[in-house]
Amino acid sequence: MSSLTSSAPKLKRDETASLLIRLRRLTRSYAFRIIAQGLITIWAVTTFTFFLIRLMPGNPVDTYIDALMQQRNLTLEEAQRAAAGIFEFDPDEPLVQQYVNFLSKLVRLDLGKSITKGGTPVLDIILRYLPWTLFCVGVALIISFALGVLIGLAMGYWRGGLLDNVMTGFASIISGIPDYILALLILIIFGVQLQWFRVGEVRGGVDPTIEVGFTLEYIGSVLRYAFLPVLIYVLASIGTWILAMKSSTISTLGEDYITVAQARGLSERRVLTSYVGRNAMLPLVTRLAISVGFVVSGSVIIEEMFQYPGLGRNLFVAIAQRDYTTMQGMFLVITSAVVFANILADLALGWLDPRVRLDKKVD
Amino acid sequence: MSEVILSVRNLSVSYLARRGRVRAVSNVSFELHAGETLAFIGESGCGKSTLNLALIRTLPKTGQIDSGTMIYTRRDGQQIDVLKLNKQEHRRWLWSECSMVFQGALNSLNPVIRISDMIYDTAAAHGIPREDARKQALDLLEKVRLDPQRVFNSYPHELSGGMRQRVLLAISLLLRPQIVIMDEPTTAVDILTQRSILDVLKELRRELNFSVLFISHDLAVAAEIADRIATMYAGEIVEIGPVEEIFYRPRHAYTLALLDAAPRLSAGAEELHSIPGSPPDLIMPPPGCKFHERCAFAVASCHTTPPPLRPTHDAACHLVACTESERVLAAQRKIMRQ
Repeated sequence: MSSLTSSAPKLKRDETASLLIRLRRLTRSYAFRIIAQGLITIWAVTTFTFFLIRLMPGNPVDTYIDALMQQRNLTLEEAQRAAAGIFEFDPDEPLVQQYVNFLSKLVRLDLGKSITKGGTPVLDIILRYLPWTLFCVGVALIISFALGVLIGLAMGYWRGGLLDNVMTGFASIISGIPDYILALLILIIFGVQLQWFRVGEVRGGVDPTIEVGFTLEYIGSVLRYAFLPVLIYVLASIGTWILAMKSSTISTLGEDYITVAQARGLSERRVLTSYVGRNAMLPLVTRLAISVGFVVSGSVIIEEMFQYPGLGRNLFVAIAQRDYTTMQGMFLVITSAVVFANILADLALGWLDPRVRLDKKVD
Repeated sequence: MSEVILSVRNLSVSYLARRGRVRAVSNVSFELHAGETLAFIGESGCGKSTLNLALIRTLPKTGQIDSGTMIYTRRDGQQIDVLKLNKQEHRRWLWSECSMVFQGALNSLNPVIRISDMIYDTAAAHGIPREDARKQALDLLEKVRLDPQRVFNSYPHELSGGMRQRVLLAISLLLRPQIVIMDEPTTAVDILTQRSILDVLKELRRELNFSVLFISHDLAVAAEIADRIATMYAGEIVEIGPVEEIFYRPRHAYTLALLDAAPRLSAGAEELHSIPGSPPDLIMPPPGCKFHERCAFAVASCHTTPPPLRPTHDAACHLVACTESERVLAAQRKIMRQ
């Protein structure tokens, strides 16, 4: 009898114990750790930018009043009266109050309304412009990474060959030139001097006269307008990929397992892809993730130059107008993208390189 | 003596260096018989590893084979010159006829793919079905005393150094080659692991009957595993013969010095002898016998005329390149008596 009665509480204790063990296993698991880490990072950066953008001189109201006075020659009083009707924003509200409001909205995924754009929800602005940037910079990154890795691999594998000598020089030079200089050079040389295209016609994201829709004409126009920005992004970033992949390939080629693979009679192609290429690419995956993160923010200057309707150009405008809520929203998206891309990179690296699969070892 | 399966004649290998051509291996000739183990001994830089890389034509880009022939006899009796095979033929010859266990098991396996994939890759390169390769591999992994299923699906970093070395041994036998080259297979592991690897190797050799070219600077290991020993110095074979002959009746001053330099249990620490000087410059090798600068037995002719490798008086299978071989032997007797 006594054994029967004592077994019941013991069972319960076992249950709580197993729950605890499960909880501990969860908190120890790799996925949980990196996700928690990511959330904390996003919160910290968001908080930091929240206060930082409010430390910039001026506020949206003052900036707008200044602009009115300059553009329309209004007096201070007139401008103030005009501005008061537009803004819902009260610059004199205490910072902490603003922060609490911001956070409480954020947890409900409400990014607030744009201060300067007559109450348009920030989320709408982001959703409208994000696809353009994602498309343009994303395509450029894929092309640049894929081409860079292939060229770098070939250069490293046939080191000292013609390709290596030519491309090393090219990559070193091209990776040293900032993207906006490249853009200007291309506009001036091919647009103005050689007249291969009309400079006025490459501005924007798509031909405004074409009806929006899933038509060949519309897609063709989108691709045509994206061509130059993509080309410039690719040119500006491919040099670093080429050089990184080349040096990684060379150090991988020195590894014993490459010699062993050759001695095993493996075909050159197999050695090049499965043994040299795959191993040499590992260090580049982390770098790719960081680049993926920054795809979202685009390149402010390139988008401004081509009047490309992306997030970068809007961020530029928002900063100029001190549109706090829009800036906050965009910085949040950019931060989340960087963090998310890094998590992806960790997972991808774990998939590519079994040595960094940490969670398996805990069990 | 069983049939000759590999006959190397006048093989010379050199590396291009900034200062000139390094003659890493010069005029090496030897024969390997079916089922025997031939060990190369010598100090670092004497050309042992280069010789073996040249045999499988996997020299670094700066290295090249200057001259020589390498006649290999297939199982069906057909003789081929390995150095004259084209790229494709050579690729097929590798591993299926002659495989290699490399120095440093830690780096010999690709860290990001499973052992099974390395085995499948090897099989695919030689047109062997996956299932056959798997069966063969599991069988071999068991023979090298590993847990076949577990190891087969492992990544290299999940295995210890000794386990990896045994995996390499198993992979080297996957295609049942006639020759396995082993470059210092036991130097990177501890003494117990070394013991078990040597035991496994002996067992496999008995069972599968392949020939081994064994490279070692560990004389004790070489003495245990080898049927014949070749001493290399400055890119040349200076003495070659049956293991008892070399260890008990060495005829070359360098072999004697090597044996004398090995620590013995019976002798005290103060009796360790080293060889004075260092190996010669292989870009501008000294005239005459390359060892004469460091040799205690050198006479005037050693400085000018390189001694040819020829049979000793009492054993035709024992070849030595030393004019003073009788004096060396006498000196050895004296050391032994002490």
